[in-house]
Amino acid sequence: MEQATLIVLNSLVYGLLLFMLSVGLTLIFGMMGVLNLAHASFYMLGAFLAYTVSVRLGFWAALVVVPVMVGVLGAVVERYGLRAVHKHGHVAELLFTFGLAFVIGEVVPLIWGRNPVPYRVPPELDFALFQVGANAYPAYRLFMMAVAVAMFLALYLALARTRLGLVVRAALTHPDMVGMLGHDVPKVFTLVFGAGCALAGLAGVIAGNAYTTEPGMARSLGAIVFAVVVMGGLGSIWGALVASLLIGFVQVGSISLDLTVGAALGRLGLAVPGIFTDLWSISIARVAPVVPYLLLVLVLAVRPRGLMGTRSA
Amino acid sequence: MTALHASGPVVPVAVSPVVVSPDAVLAAPGRAMPGPATSTPAASALTVTGLHKAFGPTRIIQGVELSVAKGERHAVIGPNGAGKSTLFHLISGRLRADAGQVLLDGADITSLAPHDIFNRGLARSFQVTSLFPKLSVFENLRAAAMRAGGCGLSFWRRLDGYAPLRQRAEELLHGLGLERRRDTLAGNLAYAEQRALEIGVTVAGGAHTILLDEPTAGMSRAETERAVTLIRRVTEGRTLVMIEHDLGVVFGLADRISVLAEGRVIASGPPDEVRGNAAVRTAYLGAAAETLGA
Amino acid sequence: MLAPAHAAVAPSRAGGTARAALPWLLAAALALVLPHVVPGGFGLSLLCRMGIAIVFALSFNMLLGQGGMLDFGHAVFLGLGGFLAMQAMKLMDAGAWLPLPVLPLAGGLGGLLAAIAAGWIATRRAGTAFAMITLGVAELVIAVVLLLPGTFGGEEGLSGDRSTGPRLLGWDFGTQMQVYHLIAAWAWGCALLMWLYTRTPLGRLANAVRDNAERVSFLGYDPARIRWRVFALSGLFAGIAGGLAALNDEIVTAGTMGPEASSAVLLMTFIGGIGTFWGPVLGAVLVTFLSVALSTITDAWQLYSGLLFVAVVVWAPGGLSGILKAHAPLLRGGRLRGVVPGYLACLPGLVLAVAGVGGLAELAFRLQAVRNGASPRPVLGMALDPGAPWPWLVALALLLAGALLLRRTAPAARAAWQEASAASAVP
Repeated sequence: MEQATLIVLNSLVYGLLLFMLSVGLTLIFGMMGVLNLAHASFYMLGAFLAYTVSVRLGFWAALVVVPVMVGVLGAVVERYGLRAVHKHGHVAELLFTFGLAFVIGEVVPLIWGRNPVPYRVPPELDFALFQVGANAYPAYRLFMMAVAVAMFLALYLALARTRLGLVVRAALTHPDMVGMLGHDVPKVFTLVFGAGCALAGLAGVIAGNAYTTEPGMARSLGAIVFAVVVMGGLGSIWGALVASLLIGFVQVGSISLDLTVGAALGRLGLAVPGIFTDLWSISIARVAPVVPYLLLVLVLAVRPRGLMGTRSA
Repeated sequence: MTALHASGPVVPVAVSPVVVSPDAVLAAPGRAMPGPATSTPAASALTVTGLHKAFGPTRIIQGVELSVAKGERHAVIGPNGAGKSTLFHLISGRLRADAGQVLLDGADITSLAPHDIFNRGLARSFQVTSLFPKLSVFENLRAAAMRAGGCGLSFWRRLDGYAPLRQRAEELLHGLGLERRRDTLAGNLAYAEQRALEIGVTVAGGAHTILLDEPTAGMSRAETERAVTLIRRVTEGRTLVMIEHDLGVVFGLADRISVLAEGRVIASGPPDEVRGNAAVRTAYLGAAAETLGA
Repeated sequence: MLAPAHAAVAPSRAGGTARAALPWLLAAALALVLPHVVPGGFGLSLLCRMGIAIVFALSFNMLLGQGGMLDFGHAVFLGLGGFLAMQAMKLMDAGAWLPLPVLPLAGGLGGLLAAIAAGWIATRRAGTAFAMITLGVAELVIAVVLLLPGTFGGEEGLSGDRSTGPRLLGWDFGTQMQVYHLIAAWAWGCALLMWLYTRTPLGRLANAVRDNAERVSFLGYDPARIRWRVFALSGLFAGIAGGLAALNDEIVTAGTMGPEASSAVLLMTFIGGIGTFWGPVLGAVLVTFLSVALSTITDAWQLYSGLLFVAVVVWAPGGLSGILKAHAPLLRGGRLRGVVPGYLACLPGLVLAVAGVGGLAELAFRLQAVRNGASPRPVLGMALDPGAPWPWLVALALLLAGALLLRRTAPAARAAWQEASAASAVP
């Protein structure tokens, strides 16, 4: 029972974190048709910058300042880099964001080194909130969830209630039309790209100290975020939420399961194939990291629009 | 005047020259009628029945009935937003119909993919020019002729080794008057040249039923005249269905006209009949008729 | 229309073939001469790497430049081909009669089968979706390879001995020189085959699909089928490259097919230029050389190649070969002189900016070294203290000065270029 509660809580935290990361990506793709391959890199930058800022100015300062820094960087990148590439087509845009991810991936260890940095949870939040059986559940996790929910609400209100939000929503499905109505669509793009990166940076600030902050974090999280965005539907915020929670649950749950792949197949009533015997004796926990890639491929192959997407990949 | 038969070999008719000014068009006799207007399905190249298409709540095509006889030159006209291009998309397989049926030479092509429809003999052009911008004019034409030239997806034979393909591309090159642009990249052509190439690419595969979507859009008088002569030549002996806004072109070229308004065909028949149809005049020709004082 | 006045048909076959064969003969001659010109074992090993990279990059460009398909996991075919070739090598080591020169065929088979399978899924989609599928498939394959240590040797991979095969004309292929000739021959042959492919119907249709897949479907072909076939062929050649790598290194690991390798081939192909056939060759040679040469003098060479890549994407998407090709008409028309002053004027700015970037990167690396307790290496012979502020300020100043200078001089160069190229444009 306690294990189930723990799994649910951890899934929620992880899922909401994925949501924070993927909502920016899905907005950017939905509006601009660009899949920002460097999105997880901005998340990583957020975490590392938060470490440096929090060491000097404290965590709370980092919480406010770092997303802004990352957002501004994203806006600059869009304005002077992506915009110039836009006219060469989607492949060129992908190549640009790929190059960007590559470069950020090299610059981060250049500045901070190749080892994890000691980015710690602030002492104010570093206590056990309640007990789940024998385990103490850290208050910081709840704080993470709170921030994610607050971010979602803020985003929802901004998009649903403000004029700018209306323009952004319209541009999500009909960018050309919005341009013809007289809105400065390039500026909206820059804003959305910057905001998306800021959200990724915020996720980095929050999560960097709960999970490790090291130069490989972009790569490991990157594919999962793409899987979430693709599954939830490119351009759909609700879809991103649903998919994040789903994948979060699958990831956390499968890591906690003490089963091998073969045993799991058996429980589902399927026979174990004779070839590749190594594979079936592997524990599900080891296979878990692979599942997002599998989902990514399957969803794209079968239904590129995802669960609730506005745009097909 | 030589009568044009609905089926059988077509004898080229060169009667009154095509004069494109509105007065002359409305005054001069149109092309000779091909006989009784009703075409039986057997002699029909293209039959559309009960076609419906909606995009979400917006119903674009609301029950289109259309019949085009073999060898006929059929124009589809109508106000903007009537659904003419959508109709072409449905016929050619670019869009899937919600309901209805499309028969090509009696065979049901309603839910076939575009490449299957092409291989059954129906080719279409695009309102927004759709060429291969990084290939030369010659290569564009050759690529368009490949399927009919029996090329397949071979990677073991030289493309240059297919002599009939090269010949066909050369013929078309001259027919289109683009010899001097043979090696120019299609993306670098002038607009009217691109539209001419668009037609060339459409007919290169030797399809027997050809759909042209606003072939003369955006052309000057002179360019339109040249385009019409070209269209006349390349569609000899074939069935042509053409969306057009230029009424001069329509009345000079078409054997029969269908008028599409609000997703339905509101009139269909020989040019004189359509010209005289009150509903059509009101819905569409009204303003033009006033200025022409007809 | 005008009555047809048929121009002369295609130039005579014999003359055309001779002209087309010339570059290939030159390349073969170059390949035979080079190992004797280049210094020692290090140079020879570099040449071998270049040969493998050439085949790999050309196979990659079958997809990107010629087919418009961006494959983020191309190294998977290299790797799987390598594994199959390595299995063949182990059979050879165990006594089977398998002449070494034939082993790359096993690599090709591995790459082909993998590409047929992966392509079946991936080529149903185009554009971004296709790219993401290749990304996912690549990660899946790598993960599976690591999860099957019995077949793939786990973290250490599989290794073999290439000199145990039957001798050919006295060669056992144990020496680097002999392996070089094998690699050079295969590279030359593969390049020729890939070039001939561009002259086939499938090759031309791949170009058409790249330019306008929708129109292709309205001309009677299913674009997905075309993409699938091209993908399979590309996998075949990547697999051959993998087989050659297996021969050369005598080891294949999961790292061989990892994201670093997939990124590397993307970078080298794009920098070389995807718009021409020989661009990837240029890119493979250049980037392989730079990666080896630069890595001896700086730790930041990966960063530099990444920055170069981004610069090419933004400012010169045709790559190096594109730049050269664009200047060829100027050279022929004698108009090159017109642009040279403009370009020279940009040079100082460019040098300063590059020096600035390089300075910052090198200082950062040395700062890392100092933090880890090592002593910093001198930069270009100068001993710099990364702890002091002034080297940083100097580097930053260089960068800013260079950037400003470039902003001042670039428009004039661009204008001169436009004028010169318009004048020599084919009417």
